[in-house]
Amino acid sequence: MIPFLELNAIDIVYPPKRVVQAVSLCMENIGISCLLGPSGCGKTTLLRAIAGFEPLQQGLISLEGAELSRPGWTLPPEQRRIGLMFQDLALFPHLSVADNLAFGLRGWKRSERRARVNELLRLVGLADLAQRYPHQLSGGQQQRVALARALAPRPRLLLLDEPFSSLDVTLREDLAREVRGILLREGIGGLLVSHDQFEAFAFADQIGVLREGRLLQWDSAYHLYHRPADRFVADFIGQGVLLPGRVVAKDRVWTELGEMDLPPLTDATPDDAVDILVRPDDVVHDDSSILQAEIVERAFRGAEFLYTLRLPSGARLLCLAPSHHNHVLGQRIGIRLDIDHVVLFRRD
Amino acid sequence: MPLKKRSPQWPWQGLLVLILVGMAAGLWFATQRVHYEWRWERVPQYFLYQADEPQVAPAAGTVQAIHGDGATRTVDIAPATGGAPLQVTVASSSLQVKVGDTVAADDDIGTTPHWRIGPLTQGLWITIWLSFVSGFIGLIIGLITGLCRLSPNPTLRGLAVLYIELIRGTPLLVQIFIFYFFIGTVLNLDRIVAGVGALALFAGAYIAEIVRAGIQSIPRGQSEAARSLGMSSTETMLHIVLPQAFKRVLPPLAGQFISLIKDSSLVSVIAITDLTKSGREIITSSFATFEIWFTVALLYLLVTSVLSQLLFWLERRFARSD
Repeated sequence: MIPFLELNAIDIVYPPKRVVQAVSLCMENIGISCLLGPSGCGKTTLLRAIAGFEPLQQGLISLEGAELSRPGWTLPPEQRRIGLMFQDLALFPHLSVADNLAFGLRGWKRSERRARVNELLRLVGLADLAQRYPHQLSGGQQQRVALARALAPRPRLLLLDEPFSSLDVTLREDLAREVRGILLREGIGGLLVSHDQFEAFAFADQIGVLREGRLLQWDSAYHLYHRPADRFVADFIGQGVLLPGRVVAKDRVWTELGEMDLPPLTDATPDDAVDILVRPDDVVHDDSSILQAEIVERAFRGAEFLYTLRLPSGARLLCLAPSHHNHVLGQRIGIRLDIDHVVLFRRD
Repeated sequence: MPLKKRSPQWPWQGLLVLILVGMAAGLWFATQRVHYEWRWERVPQYFLYQADEPQVAPAAGTVQAIHGDGATRTVDIAPATGGAPLQVTVASSSLQVKVGDTVAADDDIGTTPHWRIGPLTQGLWITIWLSFVSGFIGLIIGLITGLCRLSPNPTLRGLAVLYIELIRGTPLLVQIFIFYFFIGTVLNLDRIVAGVGALALFAGAYIAEIVRAGIQSIPRGQSEAARSLGMSSTETMLHIVLPQAFKRVLPPLAGQFISLIKDSSLVSVIAITDLTKSGREIITSSFATFEIWFTVALLYLLVTSVLSQLLFWLERRFARSD
């Protein structure tokens, strides 16, 4: 089967820096994915390369089997049928909302163009603002216009460069969900760039974590959180601590909190010094446990408390406990580990 | 905290009036010192004057009758060859024939007064026309050069840079001489063509830089959005970048056109009778040096301020969609 979007060993160089290095990823089907990473990790450059604004030094980009970019050749952006939605939206200030939407529909029949514009206006809920100019709209309305404009010519893939980052948190998540719904309904692939993992979780089925131009992991949100392939991914996605341990047998690891089974196929040899990833939800508050830890910090999160605990060895743990377990600083509480899939990283 | 009280404006406005009055008094005193005799009444005739146009007999014949009174008289001439009398109307004071006189064809009967446009008006018209045409051509040259200056093609970019540097690095007066005496001679150009050409090339170089700055001031996202919506780079420039850039370059462009109107006075050195040249010619015959130069300056000021108001109005109209 021909994959929807395929990036094969891509290098992009801004002399003298190699900003994207050997990135390969594949969206098998039309779906929604996200490139996640801290600022300066090369995610926007990668997006611009897919859109056709950055030439490749190495590698290949193809969409539905057709080549888009290779070293020395770049299909012009206007021939790619890839839509773009920017962080700064880039609405055309000299055109009305309706004209902004119609801009990508040159060459369509007049009646079809009008019908498509009306359809899009209804889709994003701006039917009564067609004659306004962009500066007369609120931030959220401008986002919707930008979305509708990008969708107008029915692209195969929509690229979104942190388009929601200027909005407040609630509006951001609402809009991300709405955009997701619209893309799925219209049968358009989506690729979002973000530094915000919650935006990525809300939006994407598959997420790629980038760091310093390299793709560390390309996986579902669930796997990124529970089975990070890399220390950086483990640290970047979600909260947690790395607890020192030692491999005692081929399938057992010892930590201060007891021995644990290793998942099968773990590449570990006895006597290896390792770090075990412990998420806050892996630590269960249990008064009957013989394991005790001292509370050194606590943060109220509404439904739960996030406690920072100190173990006898001095190592720290995070623990998520229901908020009716109201403990004070300095108190020692019983805990138990409840990890069903141990993630470990060898310590060098 | 008490609001800061605004200091009163009237003492400063008073000082302004005082300074202006002082300057006017100084001017008056200075002209008194050189015993200059002001003859402002001589100036209007150079805008518009009445000329007497001779009226002649249309054919040989005899003056049959003269009728009418007041300012004009109508003379009936019976042609020697017979037929209906021919009529000629002249001013009463200029009448040169009596009833019964025999006249030959083209003999003077008298004159009629006619309003004529004076040299100042003509010069003003030449200046406006010259500036407009060379400004328009300069705008086209500037637009093309500005685009070339941003072209990825090194040849186009190199040519644009060379042209801009060449023009901006040499005085306009020298350019006009070169254009007239060298290029004009080689290509056998009329002096007006040479003048317009020199001014257009000069303005074009400056407008190119204005255009370049305007295009560069449009965020890259605008053209990238247009490209991703299926526009080619040319269409993007035409429909997205240039319309927005035009709005931003209006103020510097207005300044450039105003400069052009003033700079056009330099073409008087190649004997184009623009406003400045007309002024100089009038002075040689009227000796009203001060009056004419003041009038000429005032006329330039009039043209430039009308233009600047016009562009200001245009700018405000465009600003509405920002």
